[in-house]
Amino acid sequence: MRQFIWQRWSQALAVAGLLAALVGLAAPGLLGAALAQEPLTLTFWHYWDGVNGDTLDRLAQEYNAQHPGVVVEPVFIPNPELLSKLQTAIASGDTPALAIADVIWMAALKRSGGLAPLDSFITASGLDLSDFYASQLDFDRFEGQLYALPVSTNNLELFYNKDLFRAAGLDPERPPQTWDELVEFGQRIRQADPSKFGYELFTQGGEGTTWQFQVFLWQLGGEFLTPDGQPAFDSPAGVQALQFWSDLIRTYQVSALRPWGLFGSGDAAMVMDGSWMVQFFPPQINFELGTARFPIPSGGQPATNMGGEHIFILKGDPAREQAAFDFIQYFTSTAVQVQWDQATGFTPVRRSVAEDPGYQAWLRDTQPLLIPFVESQQYARARPSVPQYPEISAAFSRQVERVLQGQATPEEALAQAAADVRAILAGP
Amino acid sequence: MSPPKALAHPPLLSTSLQGFLVAFERHDWPSAFVCLLPVALIFGLFNIYPALYSVFLSFFRWDGFNLQREFVGLDNYRTLVHSGAFWHSVLVTFYYASGATLLSLVLGLALATALNSNLAGRTIYRTLYFLPVVTPMVAAGVVWQRLFDPTHGVINGALSWLGVTGPNWLSDPAWAMPALILVGTWRRAGFNLVVYLAALQAVPRIYYEAARLDGASAWALFRFITVPLVAPASLFLAITSLIDGFQMLDLVFVMTNGGPLDATNVLGFYLYQNAFRFFKLGYASAVAYAIFALIFLVTLVQWRLVGRRAEVAYQEAA
Repeated sequence: MRQFIWQRWSQALAVAGLLAALVGLAAPGLLGAALAQEPLTLTFWHYWDGVNGDTLDRLAQEYNAQHPGVVVEPVFIPNPELLSKLQTAIASGDTPALAIADVIWMAALKRSGGLAPLDSFITASGLDLSDFYASQLDFDRFEGQLYALPVSTNNLELFYNKDLFRAAGLDPERPPQTWDELVEFGQRIRQADPSKFGYELFTQGGEGTTWQFQVFLWQLGGEFLTPDGQPAFDSPAGVQALQFWSDLIRTYQVSALRPWGLFGSGDAAMVMDGSWMVQFFPPQINFELGTARFPIPSGGQPATNMGGEHIFILKGDPAREQAAFDFIQYFTSTAVQVQWDQATGFTPVRRSVAEDPGYQAWLRDTQPLLIPFVESQQYARARPSVPQYPEISAAFSRQVERVLQGQATPEEALAQAAADVRAILAGP
Repeated sequence: MSPPKALAHPPLLSTSLQGFLVAFERHDWPSAFVCLLPVALIFGLFNIYPALYSVFLSFFRWDGFNLQREFVGLDNYRTLVHSGAFWHSVLVTFYYASGATLLSLVLGLALATALNSNLAGRTIYRTLYFLPVVTPMVAAGVVWQRLFDPTHGVINGALSWLGVTGPNWLSDPAWAMPALILVGTWRRAGFNLVVYLAALQAVPRIYYEAARLDGASAWALFRFITVPLVAPASLFLAITSLIDGFQMLDLVFVMTNGGPLDATNVLGFYLYQNAFRFFKLGYASAVAYAIFALIFLVTLVQWRLVGRRAEVAYQEAA
């Protein structure tokens, strides 16, 4: 009996061992196979789907054809998962060679210790950084080093409904140019049809509210945070901008507290939205769409906010890092960026792309709605690239909401927001 | 709200579980061990390990990226206890969970009583009421958002037809949570209905017949026979609904984003926000354990208070 049990246990252990061996052997086996047959494979994680993803695949194929020693392999990972996958990869050390991330994630990524600084590669390659819009690189700099480069961007300008303009007796080719006109035109829209709103504000809080508000603040010459990262929005410019938002709803009744989407459904005549909507609005609306530079307050200056993706190298052996940088140099080059922007509708990250005659002709002939966005990219400002930004944005937008809900004056709300932001920056 | 989990196990797992049961009965421990191994590995890797790992994380300050984690001891728990936002979320969660539980229990029992009669097309109604339980909540949330639209929504349309000016539902801090409770009730009532229907069918007909002979009214039948005799089902449903309510996140995510002014910032959303928007993984892990402790506590209290009474009521009525 004892011997029988011993036999059974050894059988059990053998089966368990076999299972473990199967799992354990498979991985190095595959790895060995990959190592045996060069060339160097550069895995590139991204979340671009549809046309954007197809275009990237095409650009990578062209690159691979020209560079026999290297295979750039774009891997699509859905947007909500990319960040956590990068987290896991960096923590485990099993990283892709390249990846892109939303500008907002760069704050955490560049501090993670998992990205390779680009400075020495840039110096060695002679890449001219001054051609990139300077504010773009604010997202990529940390402690004097550059950890990423912009590959795509977008910004916020005015969209308007030409049909509603016509119905209100407004010239559909003459969008508002000042805040006063924004109010005046908005009121004309409401008078013509009280069920329509003049201008749609993002009132639901979070980053949607904060990043739109920043444009109004910057236009008035205000700042969101000081250069050393302390609250700067509790300023006369901040109060004026917030008062204007409150007035749009409460005094002029041009805007309303509603879930986002009034402009798209034809219930609001004007909205501030991103350049990507030049593609996304047309199939979902049944009115004639116009775009324009966003109205400016009297005595103010042009300004806009931007998003986009930046590309970076994950730390690896020197050969992999160098090969990855070579691809970045190709991808960010003017010629490739012109192709990329024309295929995807992203706005240019480099001046030479915006001024490229071929690109400009393409804009005029096929994408005239995109022109205001391309023109204003030079005025785009970067949101503070600090890891606490999402929490700061949530605390800030909560105070904006309080004013819009009639629970606080702009002065009170901004003072409270400044106190909250200081507490967030001081840490828990 | 979890619809009943899929009954079919992957073949490997069900085979190995069957093997385990056979071996266990025969006291053949080695075979039992081997048969249990796949299940234990999978359950351990995907359930137990992450749960334990988040205990570990709750003692650190970590943004999820940095290769260095900072050990902070009980700091995250201390921050949590002193955080106004956390306690606000606890209140908001209680508001949602108790509201949706109460309404869905009442509605579920009312519907079950109605369907327990010899109504024509009973199975059709039962299926219809059960549909929300198996509808993906993200899709349903988008539709409900439309229904709650203050200008074009069907709900305010119907209200204005009755001469009532409907509220600015999802944009009004006072009305956003009632709106979510309505949706939560809608999604839960069908499940409660099915459980109640089963409970009702176990109530012997003779009780009703005897009471009717004594001249009891329909309300009295319901109040003194139905309600106490389905009390065990009510307890089960109250506990599971409340737990579901505590874990609710999807509706907030789709419909209100925690707003307006944090009026719908339930604990699940608060946890999500801290973990995946603010990248405070240590703190979020502490929040997760606080939610666990709260659910445990509430269930215990419910069990002690209602459980005993349900038993007593059941025995007295029977």
